[in-house]
Amino acid sequence: MTKTYDLTVIGGGPGGYTAALQAAERGRKVALIEEDFLGGTCLNRGCIPSKTLLKHAEVIESIEKAKSWGIETGDLVLSFDKMRKRKDDVIEKLRGGIAFLLKQGKIDVYNGRGTAVTKHRIEIEKQDGAESIETKELIIATGSSPAIPPIPGLKDIQFDTSDTIFDIPDIPASVVIIGGGVIGLELACIFQSLQSKVTIIEAAPSIIPQEDEEASKLLERELKKKGIHIAKKTTVTEVTESEGVKAVHASDDKGETHIFTAERLLVCVGRRPSVSAVSQLDLQLDGPFIKVNDKMQTSVEGVYAVGDVAGGYQLAHAAMAEAAVAVSHICGGTEKMSADIMPRCIYTLPEVASVGLTEKEAKAKGLNVRAERFDLAASGKALAAGEQTGFIKLVYDTAYGEVIGATMVGPHVTEMISEASSFMYLEGTAEEMAKMIHPHPTISEGFYEAALDIVSKLRK
Amino acid sequence: MPKEIFMPKLSSTMEVGTLLQWFKEEGDSVEIGEPLFEIMTDKINIEVEAYDDGIFLKKYYEADDQIPVNAVIGYIGEANEQVPSEPPAQSDEDSPGSSESSSSGADSSSPAEAPKTPNEKVRATPAARKTAKDHHVAIHEVSGTGPKGRVQKRDVEAAVHSSEKEQRVSPLAEKVAAREGINLANVAGSGAHGKIMKSDVTAAAVQTAESSPVKTQKLAGMRKVIADRMSQSAFTAPHVTLTSEIDMTKAKEIRKQLLPAIEKETGYRLSFTEIMIHAVSNVLTRHPHINMTFEQNELHFHDDVHIGLAVAVKDGLMVPVISHANQKGLKQLTKEAKEIGRNARDQKLLPDQLKGSTFTISNLGMYAIDTFTPIINQPEVAILGVGRIQEKPVVVDGEIQVRPMMGVSLSFDHRVVDGAPAAAFLTDLKKVLEQPFELLM
Repeated sequence: MTKTYDLTVIGGGPGGYTAALQAAERGRKVALIEEDFLGGTCLNRGCIPSKTLLKHAEVIESIEKAKSWGIETGDLVLSFDKMRKRKDDVIEKLRGGIAFLLKQGKIDVYNGRGTAVTKHRIEIEKQDGAESIETKELIIATGSSPAIPPIPGLKDIQFDTSDTIFDIPDIPASVVIIGGGVIGLELACIFQSLQSKVTIIEAAPSIIPQEDEEASKLLERELKKKGIHIAKKTTVTEVTESEGVKAVHASDDKGETHIFTAERLLVCVGRRPSVSAVSQLDLQLDGPFIKVNDKMQTSVEGVYAVGDVAGGYQLAHAAMAEAAVAVSHICGGTEKMSADIMPRCIYTLPEVASVGLTEKEAKAKGLNVRAERFDLAASGKALAAGEQTGFIKLVYDTAYGEVIGATMVGPHVTEMISEASSFMYLEGTAEEMAKMIHPHPTISEGFYEAALDIVSKLRK
Repeated sequence: MPKEIFMPKLSSTMEVGTLLQWFKEEGDSVEIGEPLFEIMTDKINIEVEAYDDGIFLKKYYEADDQIPVNAVIGYIGEANEQVPSEPPAQSDEDSPGSSESSSSGADSSSPAEAPKTPNEKVRATPAARKTAKDHHVAIHEVSGTGPKGRVQKRDVEAAVHSSEKEQRVSPLAEKVAAREGINLANVAGSGAHGKIMKSDVTAAAVQTAESSPVKTQKLAGMRKVIADRMSQSAFTAPHVTLTSEIDMTKAKEIRKQLLPAIEKETGYRLSFTEIMIHAVSNVLTRHPHINMTFEQNELHFHDDVHIGLAVAVKDGLMVPVISHANQKGLKQLTKEAKEIGRNARDQKLLPDQLKGSTFTISNLGMYAIDTFTPIINQPEVAILGVGRIQEKPVVVDGEIQVRPMMGVSLSFDHRVVDGAPAAAFLTDLKKVLEQPFELLM
């Protein structure tokens, strides 16, 4: 007999499992279909493995730095096997956590490939045969996969993406990374700390171009200082391989050609949405993405899309927020998705975190804003930690001191960005930030310092 | 010793005055005769002058506050002299202006439930008073739970707490509201637990802008007085309105004949208003049951006729009085009516010119109005509404003739006036106007 559900979610990543859990919590009978591992890209091939390895990179950097502080450890011995094992343990543990929560929510998890035949009938291809279920409503959370650019020669050689790079057997002597976006930069930091020779090729004139210009410049400078080679305004024309050595042929903006060789080639040029599960539903698309409104509804009633497949910010927490909106709407709520206060974190060394608008974006929108910057070089805690590279920058409107955006570069800023988000979300202004007591000594005091300067400028 | 500044009592019916503005700020020096503040009383704005020289030490009230007569509203004295931080409780005996109140007896006792005013003695514990002062809570607005309704400290604290709890608003929303002039009391919050967020305020601001030209104006000053008095009259006196039509042929002739002479002597043109005042005054002397006032459950019969004349002024209405109208001829009435009308419009009336009327005439004859139902100007018991004069076919001696006809409406207070005497009055008035030579008798 065909099983019938109130809600079926295709995709078990952050968007999918959040939707399933929240709907179940509200008394809906829910099915979750996942063809691979629970946790999606984030847990298995993205956020979590990269952060585990970046912790290793941070420790390695600390040990290097400690030498000049009088703490010497002798020669560094790296065991990539152990590192990978730790990464796998972390992933395993988190997968178990999600499975436990889903079980607790009495959610039926189907391990197979789900395809929507109609908006009410889903076919599931499992290892042990096919099954079909009926559903009242449907949430598509099928995510995305690394985009493969049409570079001549690429399909003829072995190369890595974020899908495969976390499971390579050895530390490569050298890596060429095509793409200077968030993923490419984080992986560059990992391999650089593992003593690989790292080259980044980026077609744009700057790295992380969507972020604050000063943050982009500072990060570039710091990465270069570590020994990462960054080739900007450089376009890849062809890739070749001979005797296990990859050669990337590229030309820069002056028309000069360069050849970068490396043991491994890593392609990080963005992600493409995975829409094949719903190809039979004839949903309206927005570019490659499924088109949704601010309630995450697709063009077909009763079908919602959340996460990478629906475009917008391709971030796990964005997917989770979208899932919450979709479930709220299914349950009769009126919530709407707003990405105005979406924190963005880059876990490079140093980290970059931001929320809201950059000064440039705000001015382009016609807002009357100014920016105030506090340099960590003036922070006692940052100096004590030997991590004085970075800044906290607040973009504020000149009428009320409203926090319009924040960008931070430095240690732990991915943890601290939520202070800026909180002020924005709860609508505090620079005035309250300058009055709120911040602990001393901390790096987060930088908020207070910047806010004090804002308040004194607003008074004038 | 600092000298008190009192809310003056300017008429027998005046119980409270509305402070319109201060002309001086605390710390300013003041000379005798300098305007100190402006108040709105029964239908009039008055600038009150300082009675003492010195430094304006203290003001207890702000614009739009309603203050009982004879209450201390501030102090004048020498610099740095100590004055009470709260207005002293009112004593009835030794305040200036009380002579008037004692003569009329209007103040004696109003059994109606009087809301506590700032100056009334409130039973409260010292701790409650201190707490109220610390939190800027008006203690007379706190309801006491102690013995005999005494206000306890906990009552004040509860009042403070409830006023703080009323509204949750984000700091940013508060700032935007302050700058945009949005009253947060009218804004619904969309945040957690109804917290007002910036978007709510901006939406309210847009709404306000979209729904323009709707402006919000607090009822104050003269408008408030009119509102209070109109509803007081309409809701206490059962109004009955009688209407009639008066043939104004002869009255028109009289006007035509007298106009040049009166204009030559006074510079004013005789109008039907004065003819009405003259006729009404004459007829009223024969109808003492109409020419009376009704106050404090007592009927007051007046030998003389004092006519109140409703005058439209900017943003309101005033009723200046022509006293002893029954003793005055058309020339004198024309002069007086024109002058008080102009003074009313210029807000230059003296308080005496606004009180003591025994009957009111409201003339809308300059508009396309035939008859209407005027509201009695209390404590009077009747009012005459005058409509336009219109040429109409009427039957005279069995023939249809065209005559200038004027509609009149008499509203009377049926508590103290019955239909028959009111009808008799209106009939007499009609006779007099149709045979105006009777006026010469």
